[in-house]
Amino acid sequence: MAAGTATVTAAALVTDMVKLLGPERVFHKDVDLKTYTYDSSFVSQINNFTPEVVVMPTSTEEVSRIMRYADQHGVAVTPRGAGSGQTGGSVAVRGGIVMDLSAWDDIVEVDEVNMQVVVRPGVVHAELNNHISSYGLYFPPDPGSSEWATIGGMVANNASGLRAVKYGNTGQYVLGLEVVMPDGQVIRTGGLKSKALKSVSGLNLTGLFLASEGTLGVITEVRLKVWPKPPSRAIVVAYFDRLEDAAQSVLEVFKAGILPSGIEILDDGAIRSVNLFKPQLKLPEVEAAIFFEVNGSKAATEDEGRQIEEIAKRRAGSVEMATDAKRMKELWTGRQAIGAASARAKPNAARIFAGEDVCFPMAKVPEALRRIKEIGREHDTMVVIYGHIGDGNMHTAPIIDPLKPEEVEAAQRVAEDIHRLALEIGGATTGEHGVGFVRAAFMEEEHGAALTVMRRIKDCLDPKGIMNPGKIWAEE
Amino acid sequence: MEATYQLDFAQELKKCVRCGKCRTSCPVFHELRGESASPRGRLALVKALQTGELEPSEELADRLYTCLLCKTCAVDCPSGVISDEIFVAAREYLAEALGQPLMQRALLRGFLTRPGLHASASSLMRLYQKSGAAAMLDKTHLIEHLPEKARAAARLLPDVAGRPGRKRLREVTPAQGEKKYRVSYFLGCATNLLYPEVAEDTVEVLSRNGCEVVTVDDVKCCGMPHLAYGDMETARELARENLRALSDAGSDYVVSDCASCSATLGETYQHLFDAGTPEHARTKELADTVYDVSRFLVEVTGIQPGEHQVEATVTYHDPCHLSRAQKVTEQPRAVLRAVPGVEFREMAEADRCCGSAGSFSVMHHDISTKILDRKIDNVEATQSELVATSCPTCTMQLSFGLRERGSEATVVHPVQLLARSYRGE
Repeated sequence: MAAGTATVTAAALVTDMVKLLGPERVFHKDVDLKTYTYDSSFVSQINNFTPEVVVMPTSTEEVSRIMRYADQHGVAVTPRGAGSGQTGGSVAVRGGIVMDLSAWDDIVEVDEVNMQVVVRPGVVHAELNNHISSYGLYFPPDPGSSEWATIGGMVANNASGLRAVKYGNTGQYVLGLEVVMPDGQVIRTGGLKSKALKSVSGLNLTGLFLASEGTLGVITEVRLKVWPKPPSRAIVVAYFDRLEDAAQSVLEVFKAGILPSGIEILDDGAIRSVNLFKPQLKLPEVEAAIFFEVNGSKAATEDEGRQIEEIAKRRAGSVEMATDAKRMKELWTGRQAIGAASARAKPNAARIFAGEDVCFPMAKVPEALRRIKEIGREHDTMVVIYGHIGDGNMHTAPIIDPLKPEEVEAAQRVAEDIHRLALEIGGATTGEHGVGFVRAAFMEEEHGAALTVMRRIKDCLDPKGIMNPGKIWAEE
Repeated sequence: MEATYQLDFAQELKKCVRCGKCRTSCPVFHELRGESASPRGRLALVKALQTGELEPSEELADRLYTCLLCKTCAVDCPSGVISDEIFVAAREYLAEALGQPLMQRALLRGFLTRPGLHASASSLMRLYQKSGAAAMLDKTHLIEHLPEKARAAARLLPDVAGRPGRKRLREVTPAQGEKKYRVSYFLGCATNLLYPEVAEDTVEVLSRNGCEVVTVDDVKCCGMPHLAYGDMETARELARENLRALSDAGSDYVVSDCASCSATLGETYQHLFDAGTPEHARTKELADTVYDVSRFLVEVTGIQPGEHQVEATVTYHDPCHLSRAQKVTEQPRAVLRAVPGVEFREMAEADRCCGSAGSFSVMHHDISTKILDRKIDNVEATQSELVATSCPTCTMQLSFGLRERGSEATVVHPVQLLARSYRGE
């Protein structure tokens, strides 16, 4: 159950978990375990990563007791939020316990004056923002999966999303964490009683757990900085006949001294998918569209929106500026849905999540877009491109018939080549989704000796290797 | 693994990328929180069944039946996964593999297929309520000792009217004023037995709006309960009989006041027969003529506005089989707005399932009640005197929820308010 070190049988493990949590929050029947074998990654759909038991703790004490038990018996533990990740990060590739934290969704505190909130890991991103909007606050990172992704998962992957170009990633808002360590010890990072918005006291343990993907401990509470909600926003959508022109327009907007809150690209396949999912949007079906979002005061958004409109018109065939709340919601939710909706670009096909969030240097984005299309053609695979062009973080969706082995094989080669492209031109294999199981093979090439230091940290904090084994590090 | 409900499991299941979006909107998952209670989880189970990783079992059936078939996940799915239809097809497969419980089989095949038995059932239910047996069970708390499902059913049951709707309606009700259309009124089982006054009002409203109304006597249950329990064979047989009866009636349109009936006749029947067969062609023809009564009034006849004031504050609950299955949302509201004196108050989450879902409210009473609580909170927040809805099982569920809260609000069909306005009540 943990790389061959478990000292307890599966039946005993279930019995003991029931003793710890009661029967209602322990799942061990085949039909329930089967539903914890996957996340969004394609790799989890074609493998069988079945845990021995699933537990749903809802207190720090319960998590601590489970971890003490796991430590004592050498049982692997895989923390999990909504299971919306795309890298196999929350599936139990070495069996053992899956710890489903998604039901633990208390918003513990909203500290309006100190502009921070304290939440448990299962709080859903959109629900947090709905809740704190009445205080005039918001948590800016905006994943496409906002309506279902959990804060715990966002922290564990240092996720970001559509507004990272201006607001950065989740990590920039995490002030402190409560973490249950692999041996059950409970620690608090960022200061035991701190309400400070800044702290450089001691080693940055908070930073250590960001993007640790459940390999170092279980995040049980998050103290997040939140910001005043901008009173106004506008969306400018520019439609281009050439993909490269779209990329150039983004650079020209930056050169004009404007920092939009979101800059999103949709290629032709993505535009078609959105139109099929939300026909009322009626986006012109050109080679690429860019969504620019600006926010701030009403005067500033109008001014910046108009400037972007003018800049985009130099290269775009048509430009639309939306300030109407209904139209903006339609456009933004249409963009958010592409992740799953991109399959609609090709009849009788499905989108798979593989090689899907590479990040390129801004100067290389036009070249990267062209080469991704070439990679798709080379392997006779449709690749839909969309994503956060404002920070070079692109989503590349292979659209295939997953029932045809030759198409699956081709898509896997596409994913491999796209990762290699990112490394070749000075990018990153993952900008926001994490390493998980599927990108572990690239870590050595991407990090060199730094990977050895990462391993040492892991061995130090989790000497028995029970925390989410098989992730980040390709096992030797 | 094959289903006779026209669906290719492998082709449909491959569309699910397991993004998890459906966790957001599923009312059942919101209460239970385990992944196997989510639409994504159920889809994974059907796939495991299809690939042979899991064998048919009672536990698997339990997970697949713990679903309202409310279509929320299907409508919201960016990948276009028709989850509810996949679950229905899987239920058919499981019903064949595991067999159907005797009582369920008796209800589906022995009772619901025989309208003649409905009048007797109505009398029995009325006897139970009027003899004091129901009150006695409640007062002495003996109801607590009934089996769980019987207790739930006893609590949900509304006051059963004296005569079923079918016995109250004429075979042909003439149009008042100029006859514009001949309409077949499809009287559903629940409206017939439990809410016959809705049937009377529907016929009156249609008549007042220029329709000669034929109450087709030999129609059977639409087949929705059979579909929900995977009994495709009986559903198909009922569809054949209804197709014949409605065709024989020779009307311009078929109108129902029950969201489930109109959804089944207008959409689901097409899935029961192979494309290219004469039966499939007849279901397509029928689909073009089937209307929910509010949609019919708005889109075909136009609404003759009410004549008398009906002073009431009214909110509206969208039945799943009307809003999501038929995309009919504005028309019932338009009917309400056509009633002078009505002050309409929109509730939050008006299209969120009330937890009724046919027999779900009996078979999964605890979950259903939790889902209902949220609905009643939203109803009460509007401080309306009346809740309008277009589905008899939603009516039963909402009435139960309001009774449990001690609310004085009552539940009506939109056409009832229009009828009252015509009559000056």
